[in-house]
Amino acid sequence: MANEKILIIDNDDDLVYAMRLPLEAAGYQVFRAANGNEGLQMVKTVNPDLIILDVMMDSTTEGFQVSLTLRNPTPASEYAAYRHIPIMMLSAIHSTTALRFAPDQDYLPIDSFVEKPVGPEKLLSQVRKHLEKKQTA
Amino acid sequence: MNQNASSQAHRVSALPARELAASVAWFIRLRWLAGAGVLSAVWFIDLFLPLHLPVIPLYAIGLIILAYNLVFRYAFTRAPRDLPDLHRLTHWQIACDWIAMSALIYFSGGLTSPAILYFFFHIIIASILLTARATFFFAAFATGLIGALGALELGGALPHVEVFRASTLALTRDPLYVSGAIFFFASAAFVAAYLGNGLNQRLRERQAQTIQLNERLQTLYDAAQTINSTLELQQVLTRLARATADAMNVRACSIRLLSDDGARLIVGGVHGLSDAYIQKGDLVLAQNPLARQVLAGEVIAIADIAHDARLQYPAEAVAEGICAMLSAPLIGKHGALGLMRAYSVERDHFTASDANFLSTIASQGSIAIENALAYQQLGKLDQMKSKFVLTVTHELRSPVSVVQSLLRTLHAGYAGALSDTQRDLVERALRRSDFLQTLIDDLLALAAGKSELRVNEARVRVPLGDAVARVVERFQTPAQEKQIALEWHCDCDDAPIAILATQDAVDRILNNLVSNALKYTRARGRVAITLRRTDGNAQIEIADTGIGIPDDAMPHLFEEFYRAPNAKQSEKEGTGLGLAITRDLVTRFGGRITAQSKLHEGATFVVTFPENPKGF
Repeated sequence: MANEKILIIDNDDDLVYAMRLPLEAAGYQVFRAANGNEGLQMVKTVNPDLIILDVMMDSTTEGFQVSLTLRNPTPASEYAAYRHIPIMMLSAIHSTTALRFAPDQDYLPIDSFVEKPVGPEKLLSQVRKHLEKKQTA
Repeated sequence: MNQNASSQAHRVSALPARELAASVAWFIRLRWLAGAGVLSAVWFIDLFLPLHLPVIPLYAIGLIILAYNLVFRYAFTRAPRDLPDLHRLTHWQIACDWIAMSALIYFSGGLTSPAILYFFFHIIIASILLTARATFFFAAFATGLIGALGALELGGALPHVEVFRASTLALTRDPLYVSGAIFFFASAAFVAAYLGNGLNQRLRERQAQTIQLNERLQTLYDAAQTINSTLELQQVLTRLARATADAMNVRACSIRLLSDDGARLIVGGVHGLSDAYIQKGDLVLAQNPLARQVLAGEVIAIADIAHDARLQYPAEAVAEGICAMLSAPLIGKHGALGLMRAYSVERDHFTASDANFLSTIASQGSIAIENALAYQQLGKLDQMKSKFVLTVTHELRSPVSVVQSLLRTLHAGYAGALSDTQRDLVERALRRSDFLQTLIDDLLALAAGKSELRVNEARVRVPLGDAVARVVERFQTPAQEKQIALEWHCDCDDAPIAILATQDAVDRILNNLVSNALKYTRARGRVAITLRRTDGNAQIEIADTGIGIPDDAMPHLFEEFYRAPNAKQSEKEGTGLGLAITRDLVTRFGGRITAQSKLHEGATFVVTFPENPKGF
């Protein structure tokens, strides 16, 4: 399968680098956006098969806003065509902060939430899971 | 308090209906005795004493007394017992009694009759039952009766009844004696009425005061109860305002608190005022001498708001329909907090007693307000701490996790194959960064507990059996790898043991203790978990056959960053925070944790929680 397009929206160059290597080795095309706005633009130009989205970028909730914009349910939304793209959210917000993150249709419309650190095995297995689900869907 | 004052006056001047009814009933019972007393006294005197009693009229009087008492008793049991009815009944009874009394006196010698003294206890009874005016009226009535009797005998219109062996006729025909006797009777009757009434009046006033005091105390008590049942500032203020308005029986009450800069008074809690009035604006101290005076400690009543220059918003108050206002200061431990105001729709409404009352409520309220303010401050502090913890999470944990991601990518060979030495170096770096991450996570857990970050976290009923089963399942594989027998059992009857906590906290406590036990137990050892119920408590015991804890390490076991020397030797890595976090979590949910150990033989940790058998 491979050759699918993955868009990483994350402002951390090092983390993107650490993820890009195994993803490219597995045959995926990796695109990268350094912030939310750039990410939204690239969703339109790249039309990726999967989005890996960081929570805290320039603002602490940038990732949340990106997901809400992409999954805006109004039919007139400019992202209506991209609503189906699976979103994997990454964050270092540990559960000790009492901030619980779980996908929620209304507040956090994403497909999965992955706590950092993300090693190559965890990353690849999650990516495969989402892409398989997308194909069968 | 005009309304109260008039009702108080009413209470003081007369007995309440219920009490008067009881007195009337008692009065009727006494009269049976009086009638029977007259009959038996006449019979006794006629039989045994050498007196010339007119027996027939006297027996007749005794029978008449009994007869009209029967009528009164009937009227009393039939009549509705409201106050005017009872008063009418009482007046009729007294009138009849006194006429009978006068007849008795006439037939026992007129002004020379010793029975004349019996009039006085009738006057005392009247003073107990009747208003002051009615008592004096009846004293005059008695004087009239006796005066008429004396006058009629003096003039010869009524023949004098001679009772004694010595003649008293001459006395009753002596104008000086007659007028003297009447004068002394009259003055004695009025003095008795006056004294009896005064005494009763004072008793009733005292009673009325006690009743009012009781009512206010009850209101104060109720207010204190409701106010102290919350620590939330807004609720405290609103409840205080409502309780005060209710207790003082006035239209409205407001509480204003000093702004942070101390220049203005901002509305905090209100009862009974319109939104428009509340939103008229803050009280600016610089423009409001009245507020300044109150904040300095004075209780000030404004009798007529429309004509008082001291007010900042007189027109708004008039529009609101408020005519009088009473202000009392709220003084805390460190100075003025603000002021409390009661508003009445009546001009000149507030009395000195109202001022005292508002002042008392205000000083009680100040304590509640100060507590609520402190609680609010604590909440702000907690928010700051939470924010700090959140920042630390991102700023500290994020780079560490990136290092881990980079190292894992490198380690997995995505940057090219590694030589054995390179792989070894990367593995060492990975171990260290993993440890650093654990340390950060532990610190965060501890900081989160200390800052009570989860103070609002909902506590639920956590069944301990399930939690223990879960942790045993999780650690079964590592235990088998290390050849340690990990077992658990429940020393309990069929009823499941549960506590009030959060699932996360219980999991974390068990995880920490079980992973510790496995970590410090050598191969072929044993870790046993026992769940039991003791005296309404739930107890979890985690016993291992590990390296044990030296005696001198025991007191420091739960200290942050402390690791026992033998633990350091056995396991290089360890943050020394695990047990500190565990104890923090245990105490947060009302439990306690203890440890026992014998060096080289093992350690036993016992966690005890208050049990929550029925849920909520």
